Amino acid sequence: MASLKLSHIYKVYDNGHKAVNDFNIDIDDKEFIVFVGPSGCGKSTTLRMIAGLEEITAGDLFIGDTLVNDMEPKDRDIAMVFQNYALYPHMTVYDNMAFGLKNKHMPNDQIRDRVLEAAKILDIEEYLDRKPKAMSGGQRQRVALGRAIVRNPKVFLLDEPLSNLDAKLRAQMRTEITKLHKKLQTTFIYVTHDQVEAMTMGTRIVVMKLGYVQQIDTPLNLYNKPRNKFVAGFIGTPQMNFFDVTLLRHGEQVTVTFDDGKKFEVPFETVSKVHDHYLHGDKTVILGIRPDHLCVTSEDTGIQAKVNVVEQLGNESILYGQLSLDEEVELKSRNQIIIKIPSGVTYELGQIVNVKVDTDKIHLFDKDSELTLMEDVPEYTIVKAKVGKKMDMLGSKVKLPSAFVHAIEGLNEVSVHIPPDACIDEGKDYSLPVHKVEEFKDFKLVTLVLGDRYLFLKTNKDVKEGENFSFSLRNEKLRLLNGDEVLLEPVSEAESLLGTFVKQKEKVPFVKVDGHYQEATGEEPEDAKITMKTRVKFYFEIEGVKFLSPMEKVVKITTIEGPSCYKKTYKYVLDRKNIHFGEEGQGLHANVKEVVDYGNICFARLDINGQELLVEVDPSFDKLEVNVYFDGNDAEVYQREIDMRIC
Amino acid sequence: MARVKSMKKKTKIQNTIIYIFLVLLSIIWLIPIAYILFISFHNDNSKGAMVTMPDYLTFQHYINLFAKGSQYPQWFLNTLIVALVTMVINTFFVMAVAYTMSRLRFKSRKTLMSINLILGMFPGFMSMIAIYNILKLVKLDQTLVGLTLCYTMTSGMGFYVAKGFFDTISRSLDEAARIDGATNAQIFYKIILPLSKPIIVYTLVQSFMGPWMDYIFCNVILRNKSDQWTVAMGMYKWLNTQEKVNTQFVDFFAGSVLISIPIMSVFLATQKYYIAGVTGGAVKG
Repeated sequence: MASLKLSHIYKVYDNGHKAVNDFNIDIDDKEFIVFVGPSGCGKSTTLRMIAGLEEITAGDLFIGDTLVNDMEPKDRDIAMVFQNYALYPHMTVYDNMAFGLKNKHMPNDQIRDRVLEAAKILDIEEYLDRKPKAMSGGQRQRVALGRAIVRNPKVFLLDEPLSNLDAKLRAQMRTEITKLHKKLQTTFIYVTHDQVEAMTMGTRIVVMKLGYVQQIDTPLNLYNKPRNKFVAGFIGTPQMNFFDVTLLRHGEQVTVTFDDGKKFEVPFETVSKVHDHYLHGDKTVILGIRPDHLCVTSEDTGIQAKVNVVEQLGNESILYGQLSLDEEVELKSRNQIIIKIPSGVTYELGQIVNVKVDTDKIHLFDKDSELTLMEDVPEYTIVKAKVGKKMDMLGSKVKLPSAFVHAIEGLNEVSVHIPPDACIDEGKDYSLPVHKVEEFKDFKLVTLVLGDRYLFLKTNKDVKEGENFSFSLRNEKLRLLNGDEVLLEPVSEAESLLGTFVKQKEKVPFVKVDGHYQEATGEEPEDAKITMKTRVKFYFEIEGVKFLSPMEKVVKITTIEGPSCYKKTYKYVLDRKNIHFGEEGQGLHANVKEVVDYGNICFARLDINGQELLVEVDPSFDKLEVNVYFDGNDAEVYQREIDMRIC
Repeated sequence: MARVKSMKKKTKIQNTIIYIFLVLLSIIWLIPIAYILFISFHNDNSKGAMVTMPDYLTFQHYINLFAKGSQYPQWFLNTLIVALVTMVINTFFVMAVAYTMSRLRFKSRKTLMSINLILGMFPGFMSMIAIYNILKLVKLDQTLVGLTLCYTMTSGMGFYVAKGFFDTISRSLDEAARIDGATNAQIFYKIILPLSKPIIVYTLVQSFMGPWMDYIFCNVILRNKSDQWTVAMGMYKWLNTQEKVNTQFVDFFAGSVLISIPIMSVFLATQKYYIAGVTGGAVKG
């Protein structure tokens, strides 16, 4: 009965292999979370870190409100069910279930009550005297569950508990575990490589691959809105079909053309969130379409395919075909097409059929990054802007920010990437008609009509379809391009500085309070007796300037990195708002290279012995040298070699 | 059909050859034992018994062993005590070290194991002079305590077979027990040891047999103190001294037969576990 929080969790083995990479998730109380992924993706390692069987290299793990990183498994108030059941072979079922309680020195009659109650829930009452050897796989798994239940834990961890069972028993146990979750009203974390188990059991699913989280979402969202090709292919059986295609827009239709020239049309509205430059017919993208969303039609309008195999499953059939009608072409996966067809319909091998695509259900992925092109909130919209004295963009002429002047020198027209969060609701620079408004958890996404295309912006204003929406843009968030060449990158949220981690012995003033020595805070009464004591202090040192490190960060850096931490260079990442200007002699001394004015906001580009830093300033800022400082508490420390966030 | 028949024939011939070979081997192995057993009932008590047929068979030599003035019962008891104590201490250390090496992960684990392997290559009696001097220094020479110490001092080093056995016990059992709140010691006593009966028995038998049959160390350590001798040592003196070789020669054979009884009975009683212990450890040894 507790929530869980995994924050920047890493697992790095001694040989440098990163098994889990920056794992972040907030698990609510009573959730059923499933970690799913192919073997070696780090799902079991993550679970074992939660259990305390594996050390967490970096990051914080909270169960409830308690940080449990260094807690023994038994103190974490968790229970775990193992893949091979891990029942103690020499003990009876009763002793197996009672073992944990006996270790807690619980009175015998209470133990008996708990075990009997758990046995009743799991229907294993008559086996309590048996040894595990004399039981079937399903019964053993129940005992393993029972051993977890009796401990009455805050969190249930299940590590592929059903993979040793046969298919029928697995389906049965699946529903039983779901029922158990409802009955116990506890947080469950379940690891599996079986996507059917994941889809049927989880309230939310974490899809992992090679130590990276691919997507965390509800089963339906994973199925309908996979964030990349891996998730799309992993979720759903039979697997999604993938084809290399190009997209060409003409008017309200987009033509999808396959390698071999076969084509079909989709309405522009379905692919409206795809970036414009994919729609010119010259960029290959990956089309994903599930077998369920394809059907064989009698009309001769669809795509032609040749039947290779038909698998009769009884309730339905699965047709494996190939797009290439040519005998000679080898059966490549890109060429293969899988279609779910009603049972009873028969096709002859080699028969040519027409396949119709449900155009509402297609998925598109970038060929290189394999990320979806149809995000709910597109990363940015590409628009053209005429530049001169003014900037003519989105149908309005606005003052050209001086920050852009240098970048666009000699050009009349540039492409601009506008991210949805660049919108300033209060502004009035631009005004465009609203096409659609989508509600999200903490914002609205408004689709604005921009000629024959759309612009997507996040807003919190009340907007209605058909009305005009007035806004300004955060110029610092825009990216300017000339063709594919980036002219100006958007300003990042955080700044980073390289430095080292040092320790030194210091004389520190102490005062005696209530008989105990405490470090002086400087607010003591004048007559307080100050004693100097030698203490070791730890600092982040950047370009020779030391910033005191808080003790919790010291502990993390030294435990994760060991003695070598004093020899390495670290990346200190700071939120820009945490960088302050200081007096002469305070903090880092910096030369002001230039002041960049984005119109709505101004930055000063500082040079600290070759390291660059961008800080926010007033438009009237005119100093040539400044001092900047930050609080050690605000600095995030990153290990540079394997790019790992330490704290 | 012809093919099937010829294959049967072939197997038959093969089996016959193998069995003849095995029978020959077992005869070769059994001859000395049968010979000793036979001589121990010989009526003559001198060296001549080895080459002459007995006039009659007698139990006299067995009676001689336990007759008044015979030190044999004393030696037998000495050996039994030393062997039993060694067995208990040895098994405890072997199990503890094997568990540590199999389950716990610490910095120099692998280094320690290889150092141990290299040390194990030197024969134990290399150190006997040193051991004797050390025991003399602490006034434990010519005592059974000293002898027992000498047998048990390196006992933890023989952990390899037991570690191999422990390695075959699934680690998820340990992990389940850890989650159930058991400490390392509790995991060892409550989970691992009850599952390791075969290897415990194997270690018990092995560590019993060492001292029971050893001659070198007792000869070095016990020297002339005949009331502290073990059977192996005492009986060897029978063959070694001129006057006894002609008066107690066959007593030696009778004594040898009696020595083998404890070992044999231990073997027979634990045969089932013993085999499982050797092979179980071998899977992943």
